[in-house]
Amino acid sequence: MSDAFASLAHALGTAFQESSGEPWPDDVFDRWARRVFAHQFETNAVYAAYVRKRGVTPSTVAHWSEIPWVPASAFKAVPLVSGDSSQVQRVFRTSGTTGAGRRGEHHVLDLDLYKHSLIPNMRRHLYGDGEAPSRPILALTPAPSRVPESSLSFMLGTAFDVLSGGEGGFFVTEDGVIDTVGLSEALLEATAHGTPILLAGTAFAFVHWLEWLQERNAGFDLPPGSVIMETGGFKGRSRVLERPEFYASLSESHGVPVEGIVNEYGMTELLSQFYDGTVYDGRGAATPEVTLEARRHVPPPWVRTRVLDPTTLSALPDGEPGLLCHYDLANAGSVMAVLTEDLGVAFDDGFRVLGRAQGAEPRGCSLAMDDLLSGVPS
Amino acid sequence: MRTTFDACRLPSFSSESPTAPPTLVWETIDVSESVAIRYPVWADGAAGRLLEALRGAGARLAEVPVRDLVKWVGRVADRFLDSGDPIRHKAVDLMVPTAGLSKEMATEILIGMARDWTAERLTELLRREFQDPAVLDGFCRLDEGRSVRARGPLLTFHVGAGTVPGVSVTSMIRALLVKSAVLLKPGLGDVVLPVLFAEALAEEAPELSDAISVTYWPGGSSALEDLALQTADAVVAYGGNEAIGSLRTRTPVTTRFIAYHHRLSVGLVGREALTSEVAPHVARTAAGAVSMFDQRGCVSPHVIYVEEGGAVDPGEWAALLASAMADLEAELPGGTLTAADASAVHQMRGSAELREASSGSRVRVFRANQSFWTVILEDEMGFTPSCLNRVVSLFPTPDLCRVADALKEVGGYLQTVAVEGAGDRLPMLAEALCRAGATRVTSFENAPWPPPWWHHDGASVFAGLLRWIDLEETG
Repeated sequence: MSDAFASLAHALGTAFQESSGEPWPDDVFDRWARRVFAHQFETNAVYAAYVRKRGVTPSTVAHWSEIPWVPASAFKAVPLVSGDSSQVQRVFRTSGTTGAGRRGEHHVLDLDLYKHSLIPNMRRHLYGDGEAPSRPILALTPAPSRVPESSLSFMLGTAFDVLSGGEGGFFVTEDGVIDTVGLSEALLEATAHGTPILLAGTAFAFVHWLEWLQERNAGFDLPPGSVIMETGGFKGRSRVLERPEFYASLSESHGVPVEGIVNEYGMTELLSQFYDGTVYDGRGAATPEVTLEARRHVPPPWVRTRVLDPTTLSALPDGEPGLLCHYDLANAGSVMAVLTEDLGVAFDDGFRVLGRAQGAEPRGCSLAMDDLLSGVPS
Repeated sequence: MRTTFDACRLPSFSSESPTAPPTLVWETIDVSESVAIRYPVWADGAAGRLLEALRGAGARLAEVPVRDLVKWVGRVADRFLDSGDPIRHKAVDLMVPTAGLSKEMATEILIGMARDWTAERLTELLRREFQDPAVLDGFCRLDEGRSVRARGPLLTFHVGAGTVPGVSVTSMIRALLVKSAVLLKPGLGDVVLPVLFAEALAEEAPELSDAISVTYWPGGSSALEDLALQTADAVVAYGGNEAIGSLRTRTPVTTRFIAYHHRLSVGLVGREALTSEVAPHVARTAAGAVSMFDQRGCVSPHVIYVEEGGAVDPGEWAALLASAMADLEAELPGGTLTAADASAVHQMRGSAELREASSGSRVRVFRANQSFWTVILEDEMGFTPSCLNRVVSLFPTPDLCRVADALKEVGGYLQTVAVEGAGDRLPMLAEALCRAGATRVTSFENAPWPPPWWHHDGASVFAGLLRWIDLEETG
């Protein structure tokens, strides 16, 4: 790690850890963002050339919102490293579920900075600050040692080590097969001991797990305070179930109330995550039940999210749907500003993800890219 | 004020139908801020009555001489081509919001489509397809020892894609010419022209009034869809692979199934066209081929291969193409994009611009700031499908004849190849492209507008629809 990046990463990590979870005032975020941008402009030649072509340099940026974004798909096109690329500690890769094209790569210079972002955020939304006891994590993903390129497994592995005190386990093989027996036993054991747990996994894995349970007419009655975190389903692969039915089914099969089920919205390209956590509101207190429609994904203080008009890319006012563009300080070692393909709506207390931007109905005749990439006849 | 367009044109149910028309329940979809479309929701009973009425009309249609059909369809075409006819204005005004096109582009597409629906062009089509078009009306003795005639299906069920307006009208006309009644489910982006066409045809030829039904529903969602697949004698389906696959599995094996699945097209520019005199002209026609239909047509090039070693090199030609794309944007502006389509352009552009910014890269990106056209000059040979809406990648190639190899990976989808400047290598190149899977080699200028008698995706126009009957002489 270069000294310049190391000191920036250290300062950011400290700020993340010291944060109360309350949103930072705009001027605080702005100072950090411009510092990160200056670093990225200085050390990431590709990004700097891209930014210069837009007539932007650190001295022209009067506010963080003027910092040029890169499209999420850029992570498939070029390595985006803001620092010494020989010092990259880990390359995370996207799962490639949206077609068989090139996978996105996030070259991470400092895994500690990643941890300093994910731990406090996860703690607030899934574990509860302060007095709440640590809880075992039962993960419907492969163990991080099995899939070192998966940022989700890394995240849950970190939670396992740091937040769950090494209690719990990983119940999916690297080939995607669920260890249904092992998971059943772990859930029964937690129930027998009255230990609240965190059950975390992809929506896709949960759908298969639910099918397995339903075929056996099986279910659990997890101890009060147990939490389910589901993720994915926003990235190309459409949900097999609509969200209300999915949550009702998860709730019924595990004895966890719907308000104990939290969606995590995250992507390999961003080292911070968003939770529509209703379990803990950032101060460790349980919040009352709100409808799924009324839930908001809440950025941690070191992330700002803008909603952009899909055509003009100008910022939209709260309440109007557009493309989500995230400014994530935890991405200091790559590129902070990332334009996604996800549609969402901003509110004063967070945003709501509407899903991957999709046409009203599939277009025929001329070939859509995904169709080609997923279905070239041999 | 919001306009509501009924994406539906149904038979009168009057002429020989003994009972009153079915009562329909309607749904509405907002397609823009100013226009909503309304469509009926079909219950089993109503769907059955509609199909019964169409089959009855199909039986009567079999007795109508083909020349009358040509005449009546031609009259409707003439109305669409008449800039003073209110139907022309109505069509364009509604195509803009429903198909997401600019008014200029909607007009251009309407004229281009309707030109091929005129009596003159349809007569030429029949002349080219049949030794004697009278075989559609009765037995003809065309050679020694037998007479033949050709019959179309009683009822064809057409499922449109909605990508390019007018395509489904062409499909309906092909069926009408072989005297088939038609049920069309258009795609959402192509609801206007078939409805207006069917209404106008009923005005010109009350005899045909009951033989065409157009009614929109979201694909896969209607009782009418399943019943139509079961009832029709032939199914003509345009669309994505998933949609075609689903229709195919639900169609009885005894029913003719004619599918137009995803296709893509490309362009080739050879050294002979890369002279300082010719290159700008080729850039203009290439810009036209890419921009027409906002690149949403199966004939629209996704990529263009540009040969190295000409007086104008691929980088210079990319700049010429970009300039022509900009000019054309002013003349025929691009349309309104869905959030998904717009997002895809931003992603593809931004990624290319980062590759351009990489040290030592020869990638160049030329693009509009206020619209979507984008020219991406790549630095190594390959193939990248476009996100469409006027985004084209250029691949430099040392030898035009090598392109066919690069295209083998997309062979199952390859359709039109526009070739310029191949000189006397054209016959050899055409052979190589044919092996790679292409079904049409043409110029950029003609690429968007294949003639009515083209071998659409490699098949004769009427082959899939017709049943030939041989009457052999028995002495």
